[in-house]
Amino acid sequence: MRALIFAIIFIFSTAPFSLSSVISDIDKSNIELSTRFDGTSILVFGALSPENDSTSLLIEIIGPSTSVNIRKKVQIWGIWVNKKIARFKDIPSFYQISISNPEHPVLIEIENQKLKSLFYDFLEANSTPEDVNGVEQYYLELTRLKKKLGKLSVFEEQVNIIDKKLFSHKVNLPKKIHPGIYKIKMTLIDQQGIELSKSEQSVKVSKVGVQEFLSHNSKNNPVFYGLFSVIIALFLGFSAAQLFRWLYR
Amino acid sequence: MQIFLPIADVPVDLFVLLVLGAAVGFLSGVFGIGGGFLMTPLLILLGIPAAVAVATEANQIAASSFSGVLAHLKRRAVDFKMGNILVVGGLLGSAVGVEVFRIIKSYGQIELFVSLCYILFLGSIGTLMFLESLSTIQKSRKSENTFKQKKKHNWIHGLPFKTKFKSSNLYISAIPPVIIGFIIGILASIMGVGGGFILIPAMIYILGMPTKVVIGTSLYQIMFITAFTTFMHATQNKTVDLLLALILIVGGVLGAQLGARVTVKLKAEEIRILLAIIVLLVCLKLALDLMITPNDLFSITYGSGS
Repeated sequence: MRALIFAIIFIFSTAPFSLSSVISDIDKSNIELSTRFDGTSILVFGALSPENDSTSLLIEIIGPSTSVNIRKKVQIWGIWVNKKIARFKDIPSFYQISISNPEHPVLIEIENQKLKSLFYDFLEANSTPEDVNGVEQYYLELTRLKKKLGKLSVFEEQVNIIDKKLFSHKVNLPKKIHPGIYKIKMTLIDQQGIELSKSEQSVKVSKVGVQEFLSHNSKNNPVFYGLFSVIIALFLGFSAAQLFRWLYR
Repeated sequence: MQIFLPIADVPVDLFVLLVLGAAVGFLSGVFGIGGGFLMTPLLILLGIPAAVAVATEANQIAASSFSGVLAHLKRRAVDFKMGNILVVGGLLGSAVGVEVFRIIKSYGQIELFVSLCYILFLGSIGTLMFLESLSTIQKSRKSENTFKQKKKHNWIHGLPFKTKFKSSNLYISAIPPVIIGFIIGILASIMGVGGGFILIPAMIYILGMPTKVVIGTSLYQIMFITAFTTFMHATQNKTVDLLLALILIVGGVLGAQLGARVTVKLKAEEIRILLAIIVLLVCLKLALDLMITPNDLFSITYGSGS
């Protein structure tokens, strides 16, 4: 990785680009979800050209899509019962956006536009508004809960720019993440938020080992999985009986 | 050490699970109970989804009851004919129970349903056990023994389809065992329990079976029913977490062996009061969780269900 960074510096210092551009790489292209997985991080780095104070770098990490139901607890006869109130179809299971310049003039507009196109627009039509705030309320609850779970982060962290031309950014992933392709998008924007150049990377997150074997078969071969579970249990029961008979003989 | 459970989809501490398995196993060794009715709610309180807790616990009980049945086979303490009739009823009950479970799950209310079943169940069992032990203690203080085994000739003997149970030395209708088996099947599939605490009294007081074959025969039925329930949950609901089951089996086996060999310097009634208190505490915790206003009224779930 260090060699790559030096190579980037070398290229950029010898050959000045006329157009704005961004090149990037990541420290890993695969993440394995084993039974011991306890969260991880991805390091994104690269170089910008030309050196310019007026451009800002946006980095987005977009996890695989899932559908999400919003539930609200309501009190019925003194007990709290879950009631489904809204559903968002195929929204990113993880989303983080960061910028190199937190004082960017159109930051709020960027935030609104991104969140609208990724989350707000996917609220299913049959989610009936419950109160005056209606749809708006569901969207606010969705973003609040996702932030709480560490699955949504909007301009909470700043992209490091070194010497106006190199950048690095560390993305922390929580313990509980969905397997699939995580897209990493680097976008160079000007003061008005207009896109100048972009670069994209991806990380494949997959279950491995016992994790993969059990969750795959549970979903895809339930008959085999059911028989397998029973046989393993009976075998262990038998072994325990034999073991203790031998021990206490 | 943190591990991630593949089906439950939650990270848990391996050590906590092993200790929990051992502790419940220990209690079952001391008290001579199955432990499912304690383990399932404790798993739920640990944050494991109720549907996974129930199905996985059935898998664990399949292991422990098989282990137990082997010991009783050696002593010829199993009435196979009675056991098989109970199994027939149990398989039907389990199939019905798993289907009910699937329907309630599709409405997104399985957590609530399982909690309510447990509150009702643990509440009544705990209270009964507590009161009974208290009265036994009071009676034994007055040193009068009112325990008398009445020779029963009850309504059971009026039913058709009579058949002979040699090992139990009984000649009764096959209908009551089928019904009892059916109820146990329902309990196993919706609560993840073996049902011994209902089955054993029913065998003694309703069917009139001799005590020497009761435990072996109940374990025989429970083994078949929980194995079948595991399979049904795995195929219908996809909620059996084999990794979780393995950890609980290992912890449970060790705990049960310890529990069975420890000499408890307490009277039977005192032990029962202690168990009643544990049962009532778990029940209270489940009830409070349903009644206390949650910190966050909103929650999210993934996937296509509710």
